[in-house]
Amino acid sequence: MANWSDIALATIPAAPLAAAIWCGTVAQVVRRTTAHRPVVLALALSLVAAAYVLFVVVPGSVVDSPAAHSQITPIESSGESLVKPISLIASETPASATGEHHGPAHKAYIFEVYRWMSVGGLTVDIVLRADAMTALMLVMVNFVSLLVAIFASSYMHGDKGYPRFFGAMALFVFSMNMLVLAGNFIEVFIFWEAVGLCSYLLIGHWYHKPSAAAAARKAFVVNRIGDFGLMTAIFLIYRTFGSVDFETVLDPARLAELAAAQPGLITTIALLLLLGAIGKSAQFPLHVWLPDAMEGPTPVSALIHAATMVTAGVYLIARTTPIFVHSPTAQLVVAGVGATTALVAAVTALCQYDLKRVLAYSTVSQLGYMFMALGAAAASPALAAHAETFAMFHLLTHAFFKAVLFLAAGSVMHAMGDVIDMRRFSGLKKALPITHITFLCGALALAGFPLLSGFWSKDEILAVVWEATQTGDYKTYFYLILGVGLLTSLLTAFYTFRAYYLTFHGPERFPEEAGHHPHDASPAMAIPLYILAALAVVAGLILGPTHIYAHYIEMTPNFPTAAPAGMNVGMMILSTVLALGGIGLAYSIYGKATRPEYSDARPLSLWENVSLNGLYLDQLYGALIARPMATLSAVCEFVDRMILDKIVDAVGLIPIIAGGMIRPLQNGLVSSYAAVMLLGVIVALASVLRAIASVT
Amino acid sequence: MSQPDAAMISSVTSAAGKVIPELVLLGTVCINFLVGPFLVTPSGRALPGLRHRWGGIAIAAICTALYLWWTGSTEVVTTGPFRVDNIVWYVRGVMLIAALLLVLVNWSQIEDGKAAESHACLLAITAGVNLVALANDLTTLFLALELISIPTYLFLFLPRKDAATQEAGVKYFLLSVFSSAIMLYGFSLIYGMAGTTDLPAIQTALANSNQTPVLAILGMVFVVAGLAFRLTAVPFHFYAPDVFQGSAASGAALLSFVPKLAGFIALIRLLEPVVDAAPGLLLADVMLPMLWWLSVITMFVGNFLGILQNDLRRMLAYSGVAHVGYMLVGLNVGHHTTSVPDGIEALLFYLAVYGLMTIGAFAVLIAAERDNKPLETLDQLAGLHRVRPGLALMLMVFMFSLAGMPPTAGFLAKLNLFFAAWAQGDVSNRWLALFMVINAAMGSWYYLRVVGAMYLREPLDEHHGSHAPAPIIASVACTAMVITLFFVPTWLWTMVQTVRSS
Repeated sequence: MANWSDIALATIPAAPLAAAIWCGTVAQVVRRTTAHRPVVLALALSLVAAAYVLFVVVPGSVVDSPAAHSQITPIESSGESLVKPISLIASETPASATGEHHGPAHKAYIFEVYRWMSVGGLTVDIVLRADAMTALMLVMVNFVSLLVAIFASSYMHGDKGYPRFFGAMALFVFSMNMLVLAGNFIEVFIFWEAVGLCSYLLIGHWYHKPSAAAAARKAFVVNRIGDFGLMTAIFLIYRTFGSVDFETVLDPARLAELAAAQPGLITTIALLLLLGAIGKSAQFPLHVWLPDAMEGPTPVSALIHAATMVTAGVYLIARTTPIFVHSPTAQLVVAGVGATTALVAAVTALCQYDLKRVLAYSTVSQLGYMFMALGAAAASPALAAHAETFAMFHLLTHAFFKAVLFLAAGSVMHAMGDVIDMRRFSGLKKALPITHITFLCGALALAGFPLLSGFWSKDEILAVVWEATQTGDYKTYFYLILGVGLLTSLLTAFYTFRAYYLTFHGPERFPEEAGHHPHDASPAMAIPLYILAALAVVAGLILGPTHIYAHYIEMTPNFPTAAPAGMNVGMMILSTVLALGGIGLAYSIYGKATRPEYSDARPLSLWENVSLNGLYLDQLYGALIARPMATLSAVCEFVDRMILDKIVDAVGLIPIIAGGMIRPLQNGLVSSYAAVMLLGVIVALASVLRAIASVT
Repeated sequence: MSQPDAAMISSVTSAAGKVIPELVLLGTVCINFLVGPFLVTPSGRALPGLRHRWGGIAIAAICTALYLWWTGSTEVVTTGPFRVDNIVWYVRGVMLIAALLLVLVNWSQIEDGKAAESHACLLAITAGVNLVALANDLTTLFLALELISIPTYLFLFLPRKDAATQEAGVKYFLLSVFSSAIMLYGFSLIYGMAGTTDLPAIQTALANSNQTPVLAILGMVFVVAGLAFRLTAVPFHFYAPDVFQGSAASGAALLSFVPKLAGFIALIRLLEPVVDAAPGLLLADVMLPMLWWLSVITMFVGNFLGILQNDLRRMLAYSGVAHVGYMLVGLNVGHHTTSVPDGIEALLFYLAVYGLMTIGAFAVLIAAERDNKPLETLDQLAGLHRVRPGLALMLMVFMFSLAGMPPTAGFLAKLNLFFAAWAQGDVSNRWLALFMVINAAMGSWYYLRVVGAMYLREPLDEHHGSHAPAPIIASVACTAMVITLFFVPTWLWTMVQTVRSS
């Protein structure tokens, strides 16, 4: 019989799927305006189940026979308390910290749903696999989804596609949960595509708007490039390992063997996985789709394009860390991509006037931080655990503060009659007090204000990169990365508060679309805002310095060996200074009464020149990337049209010509058909007779 | 005096006991034919809505047969005129479900006055296919095949009275009779050499002796040729596009699947010992190359000609030809313990999936009909997604499935065949696998053209067509199954694998 763990695991995807089916069928006809209810209910159920997985299933899944893992000493497990077994492992760790990967004390809990297919040598089971990393992702995804769904029930009220919106959202949560629960790469790929499809549907929710339809298409097309990488990676993995199961592929001992034999192959697989991650997580140079994706309804931006789907790339790389640790090259690329993205996106964010685009670029930039952290392990395998832990930690805190920022931006948009251009409103502090205070919490967390959640996670990432500069062969490279990280940290604080001051401070102005009395968030919108804001403030403090998070994620099977972690006080002070500096800079330009009139076009002061430099960089970026791309694409188009198309056409002509040659036989006359049939029999008889003659 | 009678009666009852579902169907056929004419005026008119009653009766009969099938004994019996084994069980299930779908497809295609006869033909054909699987004797096999053919002539002829339908009916009749004659000639040669009509005895004789008389081998060639007509394998396929185009869509739907199912089952029954034989068997050595060529030529010709079609039903006819080519790959590979899945399993899986997607495609074409005029050309589908988005979506699913793209059952069906052919290991079979991939790519050309017409072109007019529920129910059911079977193929797969174990 199924036990509670299986039921919990099955509930997590099943509940949103059921809600999606309800919205897709019944709610299309009746109960249209209450289509959010089954979705909210389902997400609440999933959240409870995810919490059960977090607190009971994962801590309880302990390797039964330590003999199977010869390298480790038996670890007694209580399984009851959350922290106790972990602290045991942690105390074990220094003893075996020889750089070797030791077997996990915890194993993944696997619920085999059914065997999907078994053809040739390829067997694919649909399994729900839970380990520490999965559980953390699940709780985050379902928690944020639940709050966003509650928010959207008010935000989307009166929309023509109300049930369609909630149906697609529930379908997204289902796919995202399945992606996280996947136990093999095929499942990952299927649901990787599924979340992309849901994202496409939701970006294009207002499909009658040409810009929304174009943005949806762009997201879809750009993601295909990444998906190609993932697909090829999975194919290579299958070729190499003869299996696509995580348990088989991510086995450290086997990977180490393989890496020694074929380092090039491991690097290729890792880089292809990275390509997949770059597409999904909107990393440079495939980040272009994410800002455009803001055409979708704001709750979607908060959920999919900030908190959950775009972090799938980070999750994928964190999940495949056992592969990446064997390829410093790939990790260096990861770090480089992350740093480039972080900086480019931060610089671009400096001069945006669309509040949601500022947040979108900031998302891209923060995802860059996570990649940066993941890549830092290139310096030394001993860093891998920290790198993975803190990338995933930043992923969690970022989900909270970015979700609150987006939802607050949505609240602004709601109040301003769908106007989101910061030049057209200001001084909303008084009119929208709830939105103001929650946005401020999110902004402070994003800026890395001391003791708020962004501070802890970003700080740890910078600390990891700092450690990377101290060991290994790539010190200079990581100094550069660190510099970029610190600079981005300053820029982040600046552009976040620029947006904050432009929106909430200064003279009170509303656009005409808003009417005269803009209304603040309704209760259904305010409650999610408050909860997320509270988490944005305290989540880091609770989980970070106490190491609760770090200890929990160490329960992930095949997790790299952790070295004892200490706080990097110097880095903390430095990043505090940078955060405060960025905020102060923003205040000095946009917070004062004498701030420039909603336009950066006229350079008035030194600070504005800095901002303008940002603009230059933006244009430079456009010139460096976009124009050559356009030229390249023009060349490609020429080649494609003039040469490749002709070849394809020529190949395509073969069947047409061949078909045309057979076609005259098809003349519609019964007698000739019969004749051809008879001819066929005669030919068959003749050939058989000849064969008999040759055999006997 | 009484003793032999008792034995005879008991053997008749035991034989009848094996075909209870078919007896139910044939009993309903009798009722339809006997009662039907009394409800119709001499001029052929009937109460409006009478077809709904006859349709209901047909569905009730099929559901009863399904119930009997599901609850019936699965004990294997290999003696007597009927053989009961797992293939029979599988074929009955597939055919009865296909019959349900075909009744729905046929529902609105037939006038009230002819509904009794039309549905009766459908039930007789269903019973015929089941009997082909049950046949344990050359005579039974031939009779069962004719039980399919003769009602089919009538079924094609009944819906419409125009010249095109009549021409199609006559064409099918003439060529079908011709092919039956070829097959019967083959049967007679085999009987003459083997001295028995008992199929197991013939199989043992063919498989265990290297002294197979040449005439028996030639007899097999004739039989394969006769069955190839039913499969629409090249060069016995010529009638298919003409007949599909000329007859009503329900007739085309029936032709696209039912004769192929019967033909493949008969082929499996007859050739099983041949394809399974150890190398060196004379019969296998000469028959397998013939099947290989049959498969290759069929898939290439089907796709080459499919690309050129602008007429939807002609296109689907050629698509059927191509799919027969793919399925023949499974027959070529045969049972081989070395490959998972084996060829016959993959073939049986493909047959069921192919039935769903092709009947589904015709159901959509019927549902999209306007003023009871059949959809003829691709252009008439232009912009369907604007006018009837649900239908367009379903037709897209079927086209994707026919082309073998995920997430549809057609993808898995092709994958199974590919792996079966590839993993078996023979170079010739690997070539088949390769040809199949090439052909799948060529085929997607014309399948995607349909999708393109529906989604990328503007509708010619804003005509919404009929909203008759029956074909829509059929197409929704097919869509649901085609998609479900992608995600949960094991439901069908375990059924298929029980066949292997027999």
